[in-house]
Amino acid sequence: MNLERKDWIRALTAHPATVLNALAEDVTAGCDVKFKSLPQAGLGLLTLTDGAFHEPYYLGEFPLSACSIELSLSDGRQAAGGAQVMADDAELARSLAILDAVLAARFPGWERVSAHIESGASRRAEEDRRRRVMLAATRVDFAMLNNAEDDDDEC
Amino acid sequence: MSYVAIKGGGQAIAGAAAVSEYLRTEEGLGNTGAEPLAIDAILHQLRHLVDRVVSEGGVYHPRFAALAIKQSMGDTLEAAFALRAWRSTRPRLSETPPLDTSRMRLIRRISAAFKDIPGGQMLGPTPDYALRLLRLELMDESPDAFRAVARNWLEKCPEAELPDTFPKVLDALRAEGLLPPVSATRGQTAFDITREPLVFPVPRSAQLATMARAETGSLLAIAYSNMRGYGDVHPTVAELRVGYLPVMLPHPVTGEFVEAGEVLITECEVVAMYEADEAGGKPVFTIGYGACFGHNEVKAISMAILDRALQKGMKDGANNPSEDPEFVLLHVDGVDSMGFASHYKMPHYVTFQSDLDRLRTTQQKSGEPA
Repeated sequence: MNLERKDWIRALTAHPATVLNALAEDVTAGCDVKFKSLPQAGLGLLTLTDGAFHEPYYLGEFPLSACSIELSLSDGRQAAGGAQVMADDAELARSLAILDAVLAARFPGWERVSAHIESGASRRAEEDRRRRVMLAATRVDFAMLNNAEDDDDEC
Repeated sequence: MSYVAIKGGGQAIAGAAAVSEYLRTEEGLGNTGAEPLAIDAILHQLRHLVDRVVSEGGVYHPRFAALAIKQSMGDTLEAAFALRAWRSTRPRLSETPPLDTSRMRLIRRISAAFKDIPGGQMLGPTPDYALRLLRLELMDESPDAFRAVARNWLEKCPEAELPDTFPKVLDALRAEGLLPPVSATRGQTAFDITREPLVFPVPRSAQLATMARAETGSLLAIAYSNMRGYGDVHPTVAELRVGYLPVMLPHPVTGEFVEAGEVLITECEVVAMYEADEAGGKPVFTIGYGACFGHNEVKAISMAILDRALQKGMKDGANNPSEDPEFVLLHVDGVDSMGFASHYKMPHYVTFQSDLDRLRTTQQKSGEPA
């Protein structure tokens, strides 16, 4: 698994929340979970840089859930994890924070988390591919009327 | 204007809600095949309606927008109102850094200014070149045929070798010295219209935020007045892009920016009439900018035109309504304006009784000899 930690959330959220919640429950079976910040659902404010003068402004809000946790194993090992995810689902943020910690510290069950990240990344890659197909299938080369070139025969 | 509290009508009000619910479900009377509208069906098959509601509601929650559309039976103003009501119950947890739209994962990108732009033009999903004729075959679309369309399209399309992101057309013009420099306010905090009232004059960030969640028709109407002659923006669309913008937030442990999700947005940059540089430099084009949640090109173009018109009004004074920030910004919000229009339906018995009394008195006095 080659994905950096910053890419784990995008890959994991390609799976349904129910799958991630179940996985988080499984991998924390032998762990003590402490909240560094409680799971919370609310809103984030999206700041955009305008394309004309590069001034910041707020485009609007989006659902956001966040959580930070600390996992402890019976042998004393500890791992910190956290997640901010665009979803109105505090439980999902908790699960993602757990999965983040488990994989970062290679706690028991990390291989399953890694496998979910890989399969999620594949799903995201397929989404990206479909979007590129939309672009490629509609690439246009408008010709001036006095030019002979015509792209109508191209795919 | 004065109001008076009324009482009573509780049963009728509950009955009105039940009648609306009856009409929403009436299709099911004696029809075993009738099914409620699925949220996923609204999300996909009424996507432009969902896009309007997330944009005008001011919160990018397509699923709740679809739900709002379902419960309001397609009334976009009511749906945006419901979405804003929901957002008002939620705590604000975080704020993104200023995101750069050159990182959008595009599905459409065109320019009316240049035939050839770096990276090329891609029409993407658009009805721009289609005939506006009814597709009668959709009246009786079979589920099998419906399911086959997307599958067949994907199978036929070739693999695409394209970059993930594309450069901005405006950047090329700016590099040539044809555009004004970027703003000196870059890096400053933006105006939050959800927390601060608009007290004029307001900064451009407040104008952009207000227009970004404005009602599409209202924005279009005022922009159209400028296009028709009550103004002189005369825009050329340098670039119009539609795509998914990664929403970046810091990781709670590492602090590194992480993609928390993505939003579909439409963005439009227009180039308008050039003007002299007051500092004695070379003349440059003027420019306008528009963007909104969802795929809504009419809104983004209208906003870009009005952004330019408002810049002119702020600098030289407003010569027409579209250049007047107070006129534009206080009349484009759908929830505000529908609320004011709707309030006229509510009981005004005391104020109208007062009008009646005054009219009768006036008539009586006008009939009396002087």
